[in-house]
Amino acid sequence: MITVKNITKTYGRKQNAFVAIDSASFTIPDATTVAILGKSGSGKSTLMHAMSGLDRPEVGEVVIDGQDILTMKPKEVDRFRATKMSFIFQSFFVQANESCYDNVSLPLEIAKVPWAERKQKVEAALAAVQLLDKKKSRARDLSGGQKQRLAIARAIVNEPQIIFADEPTGNLDSATGAVVEDFLFNYVKERGATLIVVTHDEELANKCDARIDIKDGKISATKGLDRKAKK
Amino acid sequence: MKTTDIIRRAGRSLRQAKTRTLLTSLAIGVGAFTITLSLAGGQGGREYADAIVRSNTDVRELLVTKESEDANTIAEYTPGGPGAVPSGAGTPGGPFTRGFQFLGTSDLEVMADIENVNGVTPNYSPSVDYITTKGQKKYQASVSTFSPTVSLKYAAGGVEGDLRDDQIILAEDYASTLGFTNPADAIGKTVQIGATKQRTIFSGAEAREFTYTVAGVSSESGLAFRSQGSLLLGESAIKELYIYVSEGTASYNRFLAASVRVNEPEQAEEVKAILEEKGYTAQTSADVLGTVNTFINVLLGILLGFGALAVITSIFGIVNTQYISVLERTQQIGLMKALGMSQTDVGKLFTFEAAWIGFLGGAIGAGLAVVGGSIANPAISEALGLGDISLLIFSPLQVLGVITGLIAISIIAGILPARKASKLDPIEALRTE
Repeated sequence: MITVKNITKTYGRKQNAFVAIDSASFTIPDATTVAILGKSGSGKSTLMHAMSGLDRPEVGEVVIDGQDILTMKPKEVDRFRATKMSFIFQSFFVQANESCYDNVSLPLEIAKVPWAERKQKVEAALAAVQLLDKKKSRARDLSGGQKQRLAIARAIVNEPQIIFADEPTGNLDSATGAVVEDFLFNYVKERGATLIVVTHDEELANKCDARIDIKDGKISATKGLDRKAKK
Repeated sequence: MKTTDIIRRAGRSLRQAKTRTLLTSLAIGVGAFTITLSLAGGQGGREYADAIVRSNTDVRELLVTKESEDANTIAEYTPGGPGAVPSGAGTPGGPFTRGFQFLGTSDLEVMADIENVNGVTPNYSPSVDYITTKGQKKYQASVSTFSPTVSLKYAAGGVEGDLRDDQIILAEDYASTLGFTNPADAIGKTVQIGATKQRTIFSGAEAREFTYTVAGVSSESGLAFRSQGSLLLGESAIKELYIYVSEGTASYNRFLAASVRVNEPEQAEEVKAILEEKGYTAQTSADVLGTVNTFINVLLGILLGFGALAVITSIFGIVNTQYISVLERTQQIGLMKALGMSQTDVGKLFTFEAAWIGFLGGAIGAGLAVVGGSIANPAISEALGLGDISLLIFSPLQVLGVITGLIAISIIAGILPARKASKLDPIEALRTE
């Protein structure tokens, strides 16, 4: 369960100050897929960064599994991210010069997963996105859709509880995007993980259990969160 | 992240920028090359010096002198007194005598009584007037004692063991000055050395000519470093000259220095300590070597300075390369941080990359130096006439030390870029424009 309490994030100072998130509060139950919707500049990415501990709002709490990640030490937050979260980005951020295998192995290395377990986990993740045959190929030789599938493999390899996806299909055509979405949603459903998708794509948002609309840094509407929470 | 994983990733990042890595490494390689060669030259130089000293001095011999109690003041004149500088020619003057006391017969006895001392020979230095041979002019001369343990290079003739009492060894230039057509021509000919008896200096001169047969003509040796003197006489011959010249004068049986022979080379230091306890100054062949080595070390220091300069220059190369690398890989760093890599680990990643560059440069430079030096060694020895002596001696430990040192320097050079990488804000890094 992720509880966001009253977070506010401001950029700049004094007259240049810009409030990116203005006292946002909500609770996301476990095993939920949530879409954060908003126009560009609405603060939806900042919200995601705050929820993942990448950014630190000056006010508020982000409680994940009973721990307020905003009061944790940087090392603890890093450890938290390495073991419990993962990310998927619009522009993939796969390491073009490295093999698919090494790309997927990175989160395991960061999380200090022992050598012996890595191979099996990496191959399972690659198999889940149907890229096992590309294990030794360099990431640069993959197509856009394959790159995002590789990114998904990287995101799921360490079996995270929460996956943050920032416009995961923004750089893909709709057919490829749909395939990528399927992989993502299948994994989340199978594992009972939480998926938080930042998007402005209504279609993608409709596939999620819940949605949070954000406008000018303020949460304008939420849907589906309470219903799930009561369950 | 585990250190082994970080090292692996660091190595992989460098492989992905092969040209840049190689060029940066080569800059350090120049330093490594210079330093390795300097160290090898120093090592070779020291061993060469050791060989020289060993062939010029006897490891069982100590040169003993006696310093006056207050070496910094000139001793007061007391006629005939023990510490006084005796008057009259026959004793070498000059700055050397200042601060020194002469060794008397009692001193020689004291030395001879020390345990493990095999023999004491005073340095006879009779002042002779001239050298001549049949049908030639008289030429200025000074004589020294021939030492059988010191290796001499002969242009002609030569002796095995010690010189006989009636034999002399001439330097090459004396042989030609005395009118011999070539060194071999001088062998077996007789020469005369004229000396004046100094006791009679007030009552009228008494002079005498001593005749010797030329046993050998010495030429300059590759290993000769201490002046051998141009005219060498056997020990008893020079003693005879000394007695003739100095007997009855105030300086008779007063010596500037004496050679003390010990039974075994290992005892030299021990005897030296005892001698110094008794108020003498003793110099072993190791001491002589030390003086020569100081000189070599100064030269070595200069060469190392050049190497260090090259290394300093390459530091900027590393800093530059690593900064560019950080800039190029901003997204990668951002991603790794987003995935939970700690600041320390990101810093380590770039530090290890710098270390790899240092290792590579060190290995390339030192490797080339070892290979090149080993190939060049025979040529150098031939050009300098060193025979089978190698001037460049590579010790694995030194090469290892050079590489380790350069790795350390590279790590230091990588600190700033690594800090920049570790402080990078992942949100900024991952912003897609």
